[in-house]
Amino acid sequence: MELFNIFIKSAFVENMVLAYFLGMCSFLAVSKTVKTAIGLGLAVIFVLGITVPINWLINHYLLSANGLFHMDLTFLRFIIFIAVIASMVQLVEMVVEKVSPALYNSLGIFLPLITVNCAIMGGSLFMVSREYNLPESVAYGLGGGLGWFLAIVAFAAIREKMAYSNVPAPLRGLGIAFILTGLMGLAFMSLAGI
Amino acid sequence: MTTKKEKTPLFGPKEKRLLWDPINDNNPVTVQVLGVCSALAVTSLVYKSVVMAIAVIFVVAFSNLITSLVRNYIPSQVRMIAQLVIIATLVTIVELVLKANNYAIWKELSVFIGLIITNCIVMGRLEAFAMSNSPWRSFLDGIGNGLGYGVILIIVGVVRELFGKGTLFAGSPIQLNIIGKSNDLVKYWIDTSGGAMSWYTNNGLLALPVSSLFLIGIIIWVQRSRNKKLVDIS
Amino acid sequence: MHNTTGYIIKFTVALTVLAGLALSGMFYATEPAAKRNEEVFNKRAILSSIASHLDKPLAQMSDEEVLQIFKDKMEQKVVNTKGDIIEGAIAEKISMKAESKKNEADMELPIFTYKGKDGNINIISIYGNGLWDKIWGYIALKDDNKTIVGAAFDHAGETPGLGAEIKDNPTFPASFIGKTIFDGDTYTSVKVVKKVTDPKHQVDGIGGATLTSDGVSEMMVRGIKYYLPYFQKHKK
Repeated sequence: MELFNIFIKSAFVENMVLAYFLGMCSFLAVSKTVKTAIGLGLAVIFVLGITVPINWLINHYLLSANGLFHMDLTFLRFIIFIAVIASMVQLVEMVVEKVSPALYNSLGIFLPLITVNCAIMGGSLFMVSREYNLPESVAYGLGGGLGWFLAIVAFAAIREKMAYSNVPAPLRGLGIAFILTGLMGLAFMSLAGI
Repeated sequence: MTTKKEKTPLFGPKEKRLLWDPINDNNPVTVQVLGVCSALAVTSLVYKSVVMAIAVIFVVAFSNLITSLVRNYIPSQVRMIAQLVIIATLVTIVELVLKANNYAIWKELSVFIGLIITNCIVMGRLEAFAMSNSPWRSFLDGIGNGLGYGVILIIVGVVRELFGKGTLFAGSPIQLNIIGKSNDLVKYWIDTSGGAMSWYTNNGLLALPVSSLFLIGIIIWVQRSRNKKLVDIS
Repeated sequence: MHNTTGYIIKFTVALTVLAGLALSGMFYATEPAAKRNEEVFNKRAILSSIASHLDKPLAQMSDEEVLQIFKDKMEQKVVNTKGDIIEGAIAEKISMKAESKKNEADMELPIFTYKGKDGNINIISIYGNGLWDKIWGYIALKDDNKTIVGAAFDHAGETPGLGAEIKDNPTFPASFIGKTIFDGDTYTSVKVVKKVTDPKHQVDGIGGATLTSDGVSEMMVRGIKYYLPYFQKHKK
């Protein structure tokens, strides 16, 4: 029940993009069409679902003061987290390429982008600061990824429709995208009462 | 190495452009849409924005410098990891220094210091500039881009804090109470000699992170109306 | 020449060692200052609940002065939910987050007694859930352990401008001053409500932050209740 709670909370209430605005760079850059948005969204679910638990294990068993080395190595946290994320992304890319070339073709170009997606790093850092345990961090990673996926797909759908509306020229493209995200964020805030 | 002209001034017009362009026409936030994540969450107070801006300027400038120094030694296969290690090291240094000098602001910024690592501005400048330019120019480019980011952050921070809270620099030693009514009960915490416009009620929307999206949208609007060549044709 | 496996390995090792050395050097250089800052930060949080009873505004106090107050004017003890004092435990070391996960019978609760110009003030610690995340606070009680003379709240992630006002807007904690947690001999605590009907035991909630206000209310009732056996046993 607690796990389900965290999953729902991280997907909807504390949505990575719409409540914390993490991963905005790729959110704005890769949301011009729904199709690419789905590709990137799936990749984020996947990577976030893997890296948060792995970083939990590393943080708990290697870096914390009562870990393997009996030393407070938390100052290595950033370096190790980002290294884990970068290598996981690489690994996922290789595995996907071998196992399913079709998936690789649709997902492949987005994978390298993910390493520098704040949402992935943010997921791991929030996991530490909120002191989740292992099952909780799995739920958090998957839920956070799902939330990101839903947000970018919804956003891309709105942007596709925006093509038909008459936006003032200087606001076109990026400007209106910011304001749209803001409005979506406001709408998502109403979920906070759940 | 290419044989360039020997006598290039240390700070000529080219170098000046390196510093000035990212603040204005080639702003990393409003034109290139990089590094927006952290721009949103930390801008509720000017003080936080300033600290964040300084941290980012430091990280971009020095990671550019270091990468440029070792650019001919980095094997292409591990390029990305090597860059990330450099960035992460600098960010950790910033975090440790901040924790030792100003614990309260470190606590406020929490995960957003760590997120400088994934701030696309840093990574973007390393790839686009530092890997192919001399250390000194890379350093200036880093400072320029950091400043471009910082300027936007501080503009948004000033608007959000002034109209959302009525103060400026709250949380820092020089807190100013500018507008809105001052409350007697406040005096135990901060010295409020009362601001102007006591009828003004703080705008709650500006206290929310979403407001920074609207503000950046408006900044883009203003910037692009003044500079037509930036207008998005698509 | 830079693309041989041997070179890549050498490069990676060198980079890792350099980064590791730089960071561990930095860490050990800054650790004492960071530890001290953390201590002062936590002490300031406790003192913020009795800000109006201190000799000078908290914001103007230097770190040394904060530490000095804890040395000279602050007494600490730890009690359990049966009302007994636990010998040898240090109140500052108690993590309310860890205590909140224990059974009620095993909890250890801190009490700080400030001996200042307004007589003895007992500061107790409460912990609960807000809308998004945990909330906590310090409640300062007069020597009779009935009247609230100060309060301070903090939170892990309430909405800025709404729930976060429990910390950011000084009028909210200040509204607790003068309320009593007892009605005669019955425990009432102080509740946060939309419309105050009983000004002795109620304070105004924060507009637009009903769930955070409810969280504070629940925390006030449950958190102070843990201390009641102690108050009962050590009545003056």
